[in-house]
Amino acid sequence: MRPLDAVVDVKRAPPRRDVPMPERCEIAIIGGGVMGLGIAYQLAKRGLTDVVVLERGYLAEGASGRNGGGVRMQWSTETNVRLMQQSIALCAGFAEEFGINVWFRQGGYLFLGRSEEERRKMERNVELQNRCGVPTKLIAPDDARDLVPELSLDGVVCAAYNPKDGVLFPWPFLWGYAQKAEAAGVRVQLYTDVKRIDVEKAGFQLHTNRGQLHARRVINAAGAWSPEVARLVGVELPNRPHRHEILSTEPLKPFLKPMVSLLSSGLYFSQSMRGEIVTGITVPDHDDGTVKLGSRLRFLTTLAKELVRVAPRLADVKILRQWAGPYDVSPDGRPILGEPAGVPGFFLACGFVGHGFMMAPVMAKLYAELLTDGEKHPVFDECRLDRFASGDIQREDMILG
Amino acid sequence: MKILVCRCEDVPLEEITHVLDRGFVSVEECKRLTGLGTGPCQGKECMLACALLCHAAGGGAHPITPFTARPPLSPTPLGALATALTTSLTTEDDE
Amino acid sequence: MSVTLRFEGKEISAEAGQPLAVALFVAGERVLSRSVKYHRPRGMFCLTGHCGACLMRVDGRPNQKACQVPCVDGLVAERQNAFPSAAFDVLGITDFVFARGLDHNTMFTSPQILHSVVQKVVRHLAGLGTLPDEASRYGTPEVRHLDAIVVGAGPAGLAAATALGRAGRRTLVVDEQLRPGGSYFAEPSDGAAQAARAVTTAEDAGVELWSRATALGWYPEDTAPGRAPGVLVVGRPDRLAILTADRYIYATGGYDQNLLFGDNDRPGVLPARAAGRLLSRDVLVGERPILVGQGAYVEALANALTERGAKVERVDGHEKRLVAARGRSWLAGSWVAGAELNVAGQRQRVSGDAVLVWCEPTPASELPRQHGAAVELRPEAGGFVALADEHGRAAPSVWVCGDVTGYLGPASAALAGKRVGEAAA
Repeated sequence: MRPLDAVVDVKRAPPRRDVPMPERCEIAIIGGGVMGLGIAYQLAKRGLTDVVVLERGYLAEGASGRNGGGVRMQWSTETNVRLMQQSIALCAGFAEEFGINVWFRQGGYLFLGRSEEERRKMERNVELQNRCGVPTKLIAPDDARDLVPELSLDGVVCAAYNPKDGVLFPWPFLWGYAQKAEAAGVRVQLYTDVKRIDVEKAGFQLHTNRGQLHARRVINAAGAWSPEVARLVGVELPNRPHRHEILSTEPLKPFLKPMVSLLSSGLYFSQSMRGEIVTGITVPDHDDGTVKLGSRLRFLTTLAKELVRVAPRLADVKILRQWAGPYDVSPDGRPILGEPAGVPGFFLACGFVGHGFMMAPVMAKLYAELLTDGEKHPVFDECRLDRFASGDIQREDMILG
Repeated sequence: MKILVCRCEDVPLEEITHVLDRGFVSVEECKRLTGLGTGPCQGKECMLACALLCHAAGGGAHPITPFTARPPLSPTPLGALATALTTSLTTEDDE
Repeated sequence: MSVTLRFEGKEISAEAGQPLAVALFVAGERVLSRSVKYHRPRGMFCLTGHCGACLMRVDGRPNQKACQVPCVDGLVAERQNAFPSAAFDVLGITDFVFARGLDHNTMFTSPQILHSVVQKVVRHLAGLGTLPDEASRYGTPEVRHLDAIVVGAGPAGLAAATALGRAGRRTLVVDEQLRPGGSYFAEPSDGAAQAARAVTTAEDAGVELWSRATALGWYPEDTAPGRAPGVLVVGRPDRLAILTADRYIYATGGYDQNLLFGDNDRPGVLPARAAGRLLSRDVLVGERPILVGQGAYVEALANALTERGAKVERVDGHEKRLVAARGRSWLAGSWVAGAELNVAGQRQRVSGDAVLVWCEPTPASELPRQHGAAVELRPEAGGFVALADEHGRAAPSVWVCGDVTGYLGPASAALAGKRVGEAAA
């Protein structure tokens, strides 16, 4: 017997990827991840629907489909803290607004530190967060164990916990944004790769593998591939793709409430709605400027060693799958926004390191406001491209993964 | 009466055909939209049926390819990896 | 030798070394688990550790493949994900209420208060098994280099290894099953004897053989000290092995498939080869099995079952086609009780105590693909077959042979393995 013998004829469906390419549009967004789709949705919400999103692969093929779904307000720069407060509020309302479950759970983020220097940084960051109205608390290591009984406090000298941080499942965000944007008239082109861009007086001529598109304005939301895309208009970006590996385990009944992280090793682990432990850690990688998505044994051994040290009870928990996704890493850990000098109409929405997903809901709103009303949030100036040349930068150092 | 395509994740045929009807006629897209292949067997038992359904729905417009084969190929305890002495393995950076 | 297991408060006798799933079947315990979402009862299925049907909690560890756990005295086994028990799981009501499926993506997204409550409930329903009771200790990984590594001790793998051994190559065969022999054990008559012969032949050729050794992945970017980049990681019961070789031969065979028909996940619906595997353990799958399919394997299985006293109902898949499995309600134990057929356009019901379905196994091509082999979709050969040149070479230092290149069956697979082993030597 063959697998489909008992299945009544499968209906033919025109492949989604073959949807015809339009020839002109007001705004072309290169990159169909959460940033690009979020911006498209927010533009459409404000009445600007002549938008085409160009995604090189299938929905969720890039970093938006590969991340661990963490969302937090605990940051070391005020802009990030305040933006994430807004973003988390938007995440909390997503299911209702879009009619799609994103499994957003505010179980908190628990950071553990192992040195006096980390303690000092933690104290400073918590103070900043509190000033912004974020309820992060410094807690004693023993209290951390009340939150997560499986923890070993080996080497832990300090801890910080914000109960309002959380985790979500990333893929449905993309479906939600894409569906609502398309319903409003936005076109989402999948499997469409931009190979060349002619910069013209009144816009841009994009040459793709599926035909040409003229756009008055272009947004580069291509994440790890954003430097490649920027080069198409003669702009050199300083962000570089870094591979970050991640794994998920067998699904277990819920036992882990917060996301737990150690900045010293970059370890993070949390339990998804399906019950899997989703976890990653920093592993040195050879930076050759390319986007690497292969899996390494070295990642598994580094992660396992640290995770079993931090939570010994997890030794017999089994790994089901490892994969990798690219962080789009900017030199100061902060995004690259706005128009680069010399290419008006070409907007950058990249360099979000490992926090692009969580920042997308609020960034999409701010970008749409900028592009429709001209309302410019201070972050666009803080994160302009030329800051690297002028040295006017502020580092974000609470990076994990 | 249900026809289960992915038994690990309880994905019935109706759910797959709903995805195919929307034009997502590739194995990777079915996986993302339904969770097929993301359970304990990681698609060993069901990926082929999904591939054949995609092929039938898409009419062969695009070649059907399997999902990326990620390790480990069988569930593996963290503890067995935690004992590895990382000095027994090197990567380019260590040279 | 007989051993005693504890199964949910009962004591069960079993043969030492018998796979747990088989021992439970023999003892009349047929529902081994409940599915994640609809809590549908599940029984054993592939019996080779490649599906997810027989996951149980064993000795305090969740999600153990019961078909890969050998019975030892004092073993403790429990079912998971059911309340109050897998035999009588109240959450099975989900399957009945959501007869047409439950779209978890769009359900209960508003109003906010309902959404929050439902999220909490869903989180508590999710997950298979609870945290392990203890944290075991594992050994440090063994690091070895060989002239040749063969993955799979089935007909092709053992033949390839034998050829390599005879050519003087230091060869290691790794095989994930409890006993070496692969698909020989699915052969309906004297499968175990065929396996034993092939194993002896390989060992006589100087080949080293590891059982319960699962090749977990080829990692091209990791490097063992002093070696070219690339390692094959193998999982053994209490530690890993990190292996390298001058030649890698993948004879990984094929996975039995879940075919699509009504109630196809019912306990008692099995791949035909699973019935063969049971025979190699001296167990008869049922007195009145319904056997679906045609071809050499099906004929051999039908004969072997008949010789064991079973009354086999044949469904050839052409004149008579399988539409659905039929069975008793979950209250009555869920095991299959027959099938619904389409006989020349008419619906017909037959009764039976097992539904055995034959289909070419789908090539287990993950490892060759990780290691550089290309694949092509060939449905008549089982699925995505690993491609190779006329010597079986699929990529630099990589060979493939046997069912992974397209279903051949044991005899042809062994011939192919011999040829490829000679070419690779």
